[in-house]
Amino acid sequence: MQEFSAIPRLRDFIFQELIFVESPDQFGNDDDLLEAGMDSMGIMRLIMFIEDEFGVTLPDTEIEPDNIGSFNALDNWIKKHKN
Amino acid sequence: MADKKQGILQPLNPADSFTLAMDEEIRKEGMPGSLCGFALELSNKPDVDELQDRINIFLENFPVAQASLQQRGRRFYWCQREQQRQVFFQHPCSAGENQTKFFQQTIEKIINHNEPREQQSPIEFHLLEGVNQSIFLLRWIHPFCDARGAELILKFLMAENPGQLKKFTLDSGKPLVNQQLDKYKWWQKIALFLKAKKHIETIDQYQSIIPLDQQQLQQKPENLRYEIFRSSEQQTTQIGKIARKQAGLTGANLYYQGCLMRALEKINPEFPGEAYCVPYAFNLRKSKVLTPVLGNHVCALFSQATREQVQNRSQLFQHLKQQNANVIRKKMDYAFLPLMWAGSWLSLEKYGKTLRQSYKTGTERTSFWFSDIGQMDFKGQQFFNADIEGLFHLCQVSTPPALALLSCQFQGQLSLTYNFIEPQLTRDWINQLHDYYLEELLAASN
Repeated sequence: MQEFSAIPRLRDFIFQELIFVESPDQFGNDDDLLEAGMDSMGIMRLIMFIEDEFGVTLPDTEIEPDNIGSFNALDNWIKKHKN
Repeated sequence: MADKKQGILQPLNPADSFTLAMDEEIRKEGMPGSLCGFALELSNKPDVDELQDRINIFLENFPVAQASLQQRGRRFYWCQREQQRQVFFQHPCSAGENQTKFFQQTIEKIINHNEPREQQSPIEFHLLEGVNQSIFLLRWIHPFCDARGAELILKFLMAENPGQLKKFTLDSGKPLVNQQLDKYKWWQKIALFLKAKKHIETIDQYQSIIPLDQQQLQQKPENLRYEIFRSSEQQTTQIGKIARKQAGLTGANLYYQGCLMRALEKINPEFPGEAYCVPYAFNLRKSKVLTPVLGNHVCALFSQATREQVQNRSQLFQHLKQQNANVIRKKMDYAFLPLMWAGSWLSLEKYGKTLRQSYKTGTERTSFWFSDIGQMDFKGQQFFNADIEGLFHLCQVSTPPALALLSCQFQGQLSLTYNFIEPQLTRDWINQLHDYYLEELLAASN
């Protein structure tokens, strides 16, 4: 069975709604989302999207760059709460 | 019918109409309307010929920049002018004149210049030439663009080559407000509309605290003044750390708002009212996107805290954070879009009242205007052969509340610009308020 990954849906949401990058395909899963322009309103929107989309509750206290700084970090954070 | 449409370049979008309602409100007080400014502080005089050339290219690419804002029937439109107006002005500082005073007085004169809406240029470019520094000031009327748009205009002017310029002129389709609204079915729009109305009714349960007494409220507003305060890099880092600790990674904006609520409470705990209420805008553009340059693409929300909540620092930031999270969780941010759309069919006066004034008392809802545009990234870029050493923003504000705080960060320094209306508020009062504000920004605990 293929392992769950939130990354494809996160990439769609972030590039369609929150951040503009010229070539989304070239934006790596470890590239810095905060550096790319993710602001506080964007982070809040992203968290609400994740909670709705993946049925997890993400605690406020864990909203840290280590958890939201890249697609891989977000994926790991979601997995941690999904399990 | 044909006459009505003659010379129309483009209509306003619902978010433009909202800022136009603010413009109307300010004009009714005898002030110059919703004029805003974005100033770059430069190390020396930039290359004026190159700057003029680039401004000309801007005007060619964005014809609305030379339009006249006119009412045709019930709606407003950007219309062609019969005669073009000068839009680039140079202001040399006279020999022996104090440079700092020259800058402040000239900028205040520009931002207070009062003329009928139809005559006013949507945007003007002013170069203030001091003895050893210069200031480049964009002054625009708010329906023409928002603060992010002004930043994009500066980036357009500074773009290195014509290839880059094209990126600013790509057609981004309908206004972003309409693009967002298109995502909803008609019944969803109605549900959102009702949700926004309910939200406003909840906010209106408290009478807002306005930082003016009865005597100040009765005085006629005369001039917009401004005072800039900059924190050192060290102080800015410290404020950032405290903000993150107390309001979280997503709460910097709310931290600034909450600290000002507390500073106002300290300066006068006797201001009448029950709760501080602060409008804050969020931009509908994606981060780092270069279009659309013109028009307003923001939606307004309110944060509110009762006097009791303001008394307790940690409780205040928890409350503001929770309130903000609920707004996004309940999709209240987008709920205002149908309300703005519907409101844009009302007269400017009614539209302004719908979103800005309390239903129950008809009095002002906002305790102060606030905008944080975050980190400005002109890093490593020169402005026509001059280094950018600092920047600040300006905006006209209605009376009441007669006070707006605009913040941004540039080169690691927090820049706070207080915009206030005289005679209601004075420089001495602002200085005192800032002392309390800085104390709050730097306060580590309760």
